[in-house]
Amino acid sequence: MPKTTQLYDYHLKHARLTEFAGYEMPLWYSTTTHEHMAVRGSSGIFDVSHMARFYVAGEESTGFLEGLVPTWVRSQPASKAFYTLLLNEKGGIIDDLIIEKLADDRYLVVVNAANAETDMLHMRSHAPSGFEIEDRTRTTAMIAVQGPGALSSLQPMTDLDLGQLKRFRCSETKVAGEDALISRTGYTGEDGFEVIVYNASTEHPQGALKVWEGLANTSAPCGLGARDSLRLEAGFPLHGSDIDQSTNPFEADLGWVVSAGKGGYVGSEALADPKAKEPHQVRRGLVLESGIPRHGFEIRDDAGTLGRVTSGTFSPILRKGIALGMVSTEHSGFGGRVSVVVRGTPEQSMLTRPPFYDEKLYGWKRQKDN
Amino acid sequence: MEVQGYEVPEDRLYTKEHEWAKELGATILIGITDYAAKTLNDVVYATLPGAGTKVEHMKSMGTVESIKAVSEVYSPISGTVVKVNRELETHPERVNRSPYVEGWLVEVNASNLQAEKKSLMDAAAYVEYLKGVLSKR
Repeated sequence: MPKTTQLYDYHLKHARLTEFAGYEMPLWYSTTTHEHMAVRGSSGIFDVSHMARFYVAGEESTGFLEGLVPTWVRSQPASKAFYTLLLNEKGGIIDDLIIEKLADDRYLVVVNAANAETDMLHMRSHAPSGFEIEDRTRTTAMIAVQGPGALSSLQPMTDLDLGQLKRFRCSETKVAGEDALISRTGYTGEDGFEVIVYNASTEHPQGALKVWEGLANTSAPCGLGARDSLRLEAGFPLHGSDIDQSTNPFEADLGWVVSAGKGGYVGSEALADPKAKEPHQVRRGLVLESGIPRHGFEIRDDAGTLGRVTSGTFSPILRKGIALGMVSTEHSGFGGRVSVVVRGTPEQSMLTRPPFYDEKLYGWKRQKDN
Repeated sequence: MEVQGYEVPEDRLYTKEHEWAKELGATILIGITDYAAKTLNDVVYATLPGAGTKVEHMKSMGTVESIKAVSEVYSPISGTVVKVNRELETHPERVNRSPYVEGWLVEVNASNLQAEKKSLMDAAAYVEYLKGVLSKR
């Protein structure tokens, strides 16, 4: 029996469902294209309650996290939400995640649903004896509101002045009267917020449903189809497709996550090896002249294979196929011309630095009309 | 005819892979059914054989894609393509909006129609087939 989130009753009535990471989730409510464009044009909401949320607190909590991630934790200010990685001893990526630093001694760690068990086991195996890691996945819900209109959609539901909440900051507050954590984060490349509704379980989902249905008045409900096309268009990797335990942060083009001069975390010795910083292959974006690239398709040139597509989709903004892929470092220069073999046909492609959309027109950096 | 909201016009024949074939005098018009289009939900791209290409009964002749999924299109009949629906390059959503009229895929000069017709289903048979497919979903 697949698990369901606190918002399942809504999805059952309005969405085409699919199974993902052991959960029955909405794939779309209308069409993926419509939902994708709603996020880029106004705002959309996503049920991301399936993602796991772990809470750690106390005087050992900073040291505990410091020993698990390559990014400095203690120097982050309170109310910071930052992106980082869990690594194995070889420097391979166990998961990518967001750490929300609620205070110097309180953290909420948000990880991918598919890796929840692996991550918890990994964290527990590196925890001091008696240190508690509280799994809050089933007692909280999580809703993302994304798009240039996200702030106007969410603001009526909270007293927190969202204009004062900067990107990658978080704040505990109330939303629709429910205790919640709001962070200005997201997986679409647009401005937006992720709302974690406290005290919402599947047995008592009313608080979460109230927030969701309130937001649905001004934001388009969006399913996993649009979640994937949006994140790919923004150039964000998906663990399990683009990055995995065989990928180190430098291959993943996530070297910025590895704080210079930091040691003493799982994987730091492996990353200290100079060879780690000179990988044979590296993650790149690709845009195709025609055809839609899919996971596993060969990337090549006249001389031979250069790599593989790790995720591919059709960009509704570009109206072209786009992909993330691993390409041999020698041939990875941006602007480079390669082919992606789509069911036997080599399609002309260009190596691109994501995001794939024009940042003057789309994304959180877009030029606003005055 | 209709089954669970999926349209099945009576004026054409159908395959188990959810394509349709309609006789237009000298040629055959081919497309995908409302069920196939709704399953894809949101067609964004079609890769179809050009005019002059030979197609073979129940062999893949191209694909119709949504953002997430690729669906092979099997030719209901053998023959030579005489026309491709070029409108789909700029308006692929026509396959969803009008799978039986504006969303046609290719027009073919059939080479072995009479024999191959026997292995295709009429609307009533496709309705029964579709009921079986839906009951397993």
